[in-house]
Amino acid sequence: DGAAVLPAPQNLSVQSTNMKHVLTWSPVMVPEETVYYSVEYQGEYESLYMSHIWIPSSWCSPTAGPECDITDDITATVPYSLRVRATLGSQTSAWSTLKHPFNRNSTILTPPGMEVTKDGFHLVIKLEDLGPQFEFFVAYWRREPGAKEHIKMVRPGGIPMHLETMDPGATYCVKARTFVKAIGRYSAFSQAECVKVQGESLPL
Amino acid sequence: GQEFRFGPCRVEGVVLQELWEAFWDMKDVVQAQDNVTSVRLLRKEILQNVSEAESCYFIHSLLKFYLNTIFKNYHAKAVKFRILRSFSTLANNFAVIMSKLRPRQENEMFSISENARRRFLLFQGAFKQLDREAALTKAFGEMDILLTWMQKFYQ
Repeated sequence: DGAAVLPAPQNLSVQSTNMKHVLTWSPVMVPEETVYYSVEYQGEYESLYMSHIWIPSSWCSPTAGPECDITDDITATVPYSLRVRATLGSQTSAWSTLKHPFNRNSTILTPPGMEVTKDGFHLVIKLEDLGPQFEFFVAYWRREPGAKEHIKMVRPGGIPMHLETMDPGATYCVKARTFVKAIGRYSAFSQAECVKVQGESLPL
Repeated sequence: GQEFRFGPCRVEGVVLQELWEAFWDMKDVVQAQDNVTSVRLLRKEILQNVSEAESCYFIHSLLKFYLNTIFKNYHAKAVKFRILRSFSTLANNFAVIMSKLRPRQENEMFSISENARRRFLLFQGAFKQLDREAALTKAFGEMDILLTWMQKFYQ
């Protein structure tokens, strides 16, 4: 009856960067056989009020690889319990449960990739498309003593955005960071990128 | 970023669009089970003209009832109708909202909290007048009415 003869997957862990969450584990090795895995999850509400209820993961019930993209399953900023088991034919392992529940507010937020370009005298930025959860705060300034920094909120990424009409001969710099509303956190700022405009600089 | 502002109560870390998407995924299945079409639990007169000050008390009572009564007793149906994913998204986000609501308890707020309580009791009364299973099904299906009302406080 498919008793649990397969070893349970070990070393479960979650890698989460920019709100993309991947559960990984050590593969169960059976020579010349393909082992499949099933992943299930529980939000905090289920674990508190209906702990017997586990929900099959969107993409990994079953899956062949020793990892699972659980991004679409983590839809609240609460601790999630996750478990995995192995299956080979009629053989099924015991469940292995992630030691510490995962909360998406622990995701690593990286400075956004960006392209700063000139379109004639127009300063244009195109930010990395990180998905609907992300807003971008863009800071830009004219590189001169005492320059004032301007801030613009941009959403979504992936679309060129006009920042400023520049003066001939001047240099303008830009940096950006992300904000994720669902977890109320910012990334660090990216490195500043500067562009210089052709032509004679105007007298101040 | 956007947040819920129920009067003095602020709630960050919930993306309303995620809740809507979860409800839309299960709406047809859930509302198809509601055969008592002549009754509405979250009636207009309960939801209209809720003052900012009242809104924190009212949403706290509503979400507490939804989490402790409706979700807790609806989960078997959620398994049966294969809507656990949406169920989980809504339950966990409602739990986040509730955990961040801090309705003030000072005496001068008594009349406001009483107004909110009367509204909630109208809803609860209508719920209790129905057969238990029918009431759970209707209340679960009326979450679009609840989300629409909550949306007014999402700024």
